[in-house]
Amino acid sequence: MLYREAGQFKTTYFSDMAVFRLREDRTGLAVVVVAAYGLAFVGTDFLLQAVLIPFLVFSLAAIGLNILTGYAGQLSLGTGAFMGVGAYSCYKLMTAFPDVNVIIWILVSGLFSAAVGALFGLPSLRIKGFYLAVATLAAQFFLQWCFIRVPWLVNYNVSGALDAPLRTVFSIPVVGATATSQARYIVVLTLVIALTWLASNLVRGRIGRMWIAVRDMDLAAELIGIRPLQTKLLAFAVSSYYCGVAGALMVFLWYGGAEYDVFNINQSFFILFMVIIGGLGSLIGSFFGAALIFIMPILLGIILPALLVPFGLSIGAETIEHLRFMIVGALIIFFLIVEPHGLARLWQIGKQKLLVWPFPY
Amino acid sequence: MRPPLQPNRDTDNTLLAVENVSLRFGGVKALTGVSFDIRKGEIRAIIGPNGAGKTSMLNCINGFYHPTDGRIIFKGEMRRKMRPHVAARGGIARTFQNVALFKSMSTLDNIMVGRSLKMKAGFFWQLLRYGPAIEEEVAHRKVVEDIIDFLQIPHIRRTPVGRLPYGLQKRVELGRALAMEPDLLLLDEPMAGMNLEEKEDMARFIIEVNQQFGTTVALIEHDMSVVMDLSDRVVVLEYGRKIADGTPEQVKSDARVIDAYLGVAH
Repeated sequence: MLYREAGQFKTTYFSDMAVFRLREDRTGLAVVVVAAYGLAFVGTDFLLQAVLIPFLVFSLAAIGLNILTGYAGQLSLGTGAFMGVGAYSCYKLMTAFPDVNVIIWILVSGLFSAAVGALFGLPSLRIKGFYLAVATLAAQFFLQWCFIRVPWLVNYNVSGALDAPLRTVFSIPVVGATATSQARYIVVLTLVIALTWLASNLVRGRIGRMWIAVRDMDLAAELIGIRPLQTKLLAFAVSSYYCGVAGALMVFLWYGGAEYDVFNINQSFFILFMVIIGGLGSLIGSFFGAALIFIMPILLGIILPALLVPFGLSIGAETIEHLRFMIVGALIIFFLIVEPHGLARLWQIGKQKLLVWPFPY
Repeated sequence: MRPPLQPNRDTDNTLLAVENVSLRFGGVKALTGVSFDIRKGEIRAIIGPNGAGKTSMLNCINGFYHPTDGRIIFKGEMRRKMRPHVAARGGIARTFQNVALFKSMSTLDNIMVGRSLKMKAGFFWQLLRYGPAIEEEVAHRKVVEDIIDFLQIPHIRRTPVGRLPYGLQKRVELGRALAMEPDLLLLDEPMAGMNLEEKEDMARFIIEVNQQFGTTVALIEHDMSVVMDLSDRVVVLEYGRKIADGTPEQVKSDARVIDAYLGVAH
């Protein structure tokens, strides 16, 4: 009885078009946001640095890819490289103008990634589906080659790696070795919340509808006046922007420095799996996907040994590692069989059932 | 069923003229030297046996195909190679023989997409969903709700169209085309696969669209009773050539048309 549509009448189109049409949803979201900020103060370093920050970074990258693949229907395998463009341009900007607030540079670095993404999106006018995926693979390999071969990108650093110089926001260090995980977490969380909000505005408005139209039936979309090239390129640009910001956050607020190989093809696949399992064309699905693929293994690593303690058994660390892979793999298959449209669809079905619970109709 | 022609209807006003249009795919001649015109405010039917080139003709008009020969003049302007989205901007809307809706979207969103061309708020307002973006969203939502009321489909407003029965999908597709407020509405077999009741509804909508909004309609249809009742003038195609053109009565009594439909004794 906690979740009911009854009695919440919409008298204007404005209120009818709200993201969360139900009071319960709005309360739920507020609770989650407050709890997320609360965790910054009660969470351990391990929780913040090794679980929540990476989860948020992956969620952001998954939102980026979801905009492109889930909403606009353009398959891409260049996510890792676009994240790299964000990270490398953020590094260049940060070191060239050390006095400017680092958060501004993180947000600006996404623009470089957006430009590169739009450039590599050009083939999408002519090719679709798997063939487009292969074309974006070119972006992946070419950009990764640039990261290795162009020493200018790392300021002729002998190690060839990105490092995180000390940068502060309101004189609190957020980037660099002395930054606390609490400060990093709050910055990442705030950026992810803000960018998710903007993405949700975008996908629910005219532009989002045009993306979905191009995805569902591009011929019919063109027929009603949607220019296919511009619409697809915009999707590539916005998507790469999100990936770029996620890449910058990944290197400077999570890893604290990285080499070119974190932006390899595996990263692209990793994000793609999150999007598919979370739910194509769903923002909340991006979070679910990131949680399942990133947090689940960590959780299993903690839970499995704990489960065996009462039986007086103990298993080696490497066996746990193997079990983790097996269980996560099985779960992925399980969820895909139960709901091929991803966890987001399960969530939606659950909410609809709850609306009428305890009666089936 | 159909009220008599309004006397004040402007009959000399040509909206679209097709002149000597030919269309070839390699050795296959889909259309050969077809000419006809569509006048402002009329309902023009294009009929013919299967494979006569009716859909190819519509595809030429709205830019999916480019005629190999001949020209198409729309609103007094000659057009060469025109992409469908340019035709849409010019005021040509279209429905398909086998429904081409955006399956995962709701009825509401499908019709809202039809308004895309009319929406102007820039990217950054869209990003914030504030100011012009939300005002425009609300304003267009009102128009869309009017269309939904007009087509009598308010009960399926939030249903993803992929789940709707065929007859309703056709109606939503008409709604999407209407949302564009077109000058010329091309309907490719709007009543294919419908039962009698649905056909009557659809016929009523077409007449109302034509008379209330003054939209010019060009339609392809196989059901002769519908064509004869609805249309002001009929053009008949066979094997890519025009064999007759005129009022339903003229066409009905044309010997070549009867031959084309009933076959000729050899």
